[in-house]
Amino acid sequence: MSKRFLLLTLVGLLVLSIAPMLAVAQDDDTITIGFLPGVVDPFYQVMEIGVRQAVEDSALPVELVVQIPENFNPSVQTPILDALVARGDLDYLIIAATDKEQLIAPLQAAHDAGIEIISVDTFIGDGDYVNGPVTFPLSYIGSDNVEGGRIAAEALAENVGGTGKVYIQNVTPGISTTDQRAQGFREGIAEFPDMEVVSEDFNNDDENTSVQQTSATLERESDLVGIFGTNVFSANGAGIAVQNAGLSDAVDVIAFDATTFAVEQLRAGVVSLVIAQKPFDMGYLAVQFAIAHNQGVSSLPKRVPTGYAVIDIENVDDPEVARFIYQVE
Amino acid sequence: MALESQTDVSTLTATQQSVRAQRHVLLTLSRVWAWVFLIALIVFFSLSVSITSEGDVNFLTLRNSQNILIAITPVLLMGLGQTFVIIAGGIDLSVGWVMGLSSVISALLARDLVARGIDPTPAIFLAFAGGIAASGMVGLINGLIIARLKVPPFIVTLGVSFIVRGVALLFSGGQTVAGLPTQLRDFGNESLLYWVGGGANQLHFLRRPEVTGEQLRALDRILGWPVVITAIVVAIAIFLLHKTQFGRHTYAIGGNKEAALRAGVPVDRHTILLYVMSAVTAGIAGLLHSARFSGGSPTAGDPLLLGSIAAVVIGGVSLFGGVGQISGTVIGALIIAVLQTGLVMLGVEAFWQFIVVGSVVILAVLIDQSRDLIIGRAES
Repeated sequence: MSKRFLLLTLVGLLVLSIAPMLAVAQDDDTITIGFLPGVVDPFYQVMEIGVRQAVEDSALPVELVVQIPENFNPSVQTPILDALVARGDLDYLIIAATDKEQLIAPLQAAHDAGIEIISVDTFIGDGDYVNGPVTFPLSYIGSDNVEGGRIAAEALAENVGGTGKVYIQNVTPGISTTDQRAQGFREGIAEFPDMEVVSEDFNNDDENTSVQQTSATLERESDLVGIFGTNVFSANGAGIAVQNAGLSDAVDVIAFDATTFAVEQLRAGVVSLVIAQKPFDMGYLAVQFAIAHNQGVSSLPKRVPTGYAVIDIENVDDPEVARFIYQVE
Repeated sequence: MALESQTDVSTLTATQQSVRAQRHVLLTLSRVWAWVFLIALIVFFSLSVSITSEGDVNFLTLRNSQNILIAITPVLLMGLGQTFVIIAGGIDLSVGWVMGLSSVISALLARDLVARGIDPTPAIFLAFAGGIAASGMVGLINGLIIARLKVPPFIVTLGVSFIVRGVALLFSGGQTVAGLPTQLRDFGNESLLYWVGGGANQLHFLRRPEVTGEQLRALDRILGWPVVITAIVVAIAIFLLHKTQFGRHTYAIGGNKEAALRAGVPVDRHTILLYVMSAVTAGIAGLLHSARFSGGSPTAGDPLLLGSIAAVVIGGVSLFGGVGQISGTVIGALIIAVLQTGLVMLGVEAFWQFIVVGSVVILAVLIDQSRDLIIGRAES
């Protein structure tokens, strides 16, 4: 009985391990690209639009495989990554790694299986794919979050004249993207001797908690000049607390990520600045890099910073700026 | 209490009487302990906030009281239906995503109805009705599977919460539903009364006074609409649980299901109703979320689920069923909110806030359990 079971298992495993090879054997000229973003949200949805656009614009046959994790979490993303690798037909993988350390080993395994890796939005290791600890990915295309936090700090400092107390509304400790934004913001503020980060609270991605914490902070720090919301919910809650305290003209609220909702709240006066990344650029370029590499281009840059746009009420209608709003439909 | 009348007091010795008196004090204290705990917290924060800020900052202000009241509304609404369900010996883990679903459905309806030329006020009413109907449906599904198919509520509501999550994300396309009518925003952020402080000292009813600059900062909103709505739901819940046969049946089912069945309580129908109620109160929280934050968010309620269950448990509702009161849940929600607001006002570092809040939740339940111990002793 148990021998039979063992035999069946072995046969099963054999079939499973041969199946991908069969799939590879069918593969001819088609370039198969996998796209694995961090989570379902407007930022990655726009990135996917960029990816699909680049595939459509390609003169060469490209097959696209898209998988989207339900949480921004390495323990959710890794099994999906493993499943993509197990398909055996991928030539390239465009991935927004949800953790810069925990994804190194699974991506190394994917690379060993013959898949070229392109990082978008987030990186693995320290992001330096030339001299850093991790060099196997083809390229890192994105605007890293530490830099984004620093840009938020500079934009805020400029708005308030480089002086005053500021506060950080963060999501949950341990999320790499938002933690890095907060870190960059602190570094940016540290450049201004007359500015100070008074505190940082975590709202568990709940706007209601963000209002509660911001209201309490406004009571404590009556001379606050600015608040950095590390994502749209955090900024929206903070902005509503500021508005209900009658402090809209005294306290600037910065939102990270230019979702249509964030821009609507900018127009309503709830937030004062919106930091936009360029997810379309990231997705589009990543596909082009994959195709170029497939065609033998050997001088692809290992790092492409896509930069940021800072949106405020004055420039929001300028088409040159408005095109960076994350329009999904 | 019934035991006191059975005992012949005249036969007790003096020492026995003094022991009884001591127990009586303990018993009374344990009954009102939640109030005592809440007041102690408020006193602590009032003193410590004043002392650490050298008198610049006050915890006991009108504005802060309103901040706390508005902060508890979603947690409390979710906790109200949950109180009934837990008293009846069940649990509803789907309320978090039901709140998100309701927020998304009501936001989509409000946006699309106004876009089709319907006046904002009736459109908002229809949108709210739609959000509540969607929530009630989820509750009905929970209740039917639990009552008719006899699947444990923990499993059913957990499974349903995944389904509801998917549905909410599908409807919203994974994004916050934006573009809502401004009347909805006003409903979420305006209030019954307004107080203009800072020397002007005027009270306004229903209509927000036109103020600017410094006066705008001195404007306090008293009893925001979300607080008013929540208060009405609390009143209905108190009436239902403590004054009606519906309430007595709820306790009976949680106390002993078999006995309730034999006594002729329609257990299945009642169970279904309880889960519908639980989903509907969570749905109301979702409507208020859309209004306050002028956006329909599928993830609105997910972070609140554990907090709402904590509020119910701190308030003295037994997770084993049969015991609990609505007032307990209200105080439980208040204790958590006062603690969170107070810690931020004290400027306590975020990581320590987690540790303190967690410790207080456990402490509160420990005290509550010791009450059972005292009651047990006093009655034996």
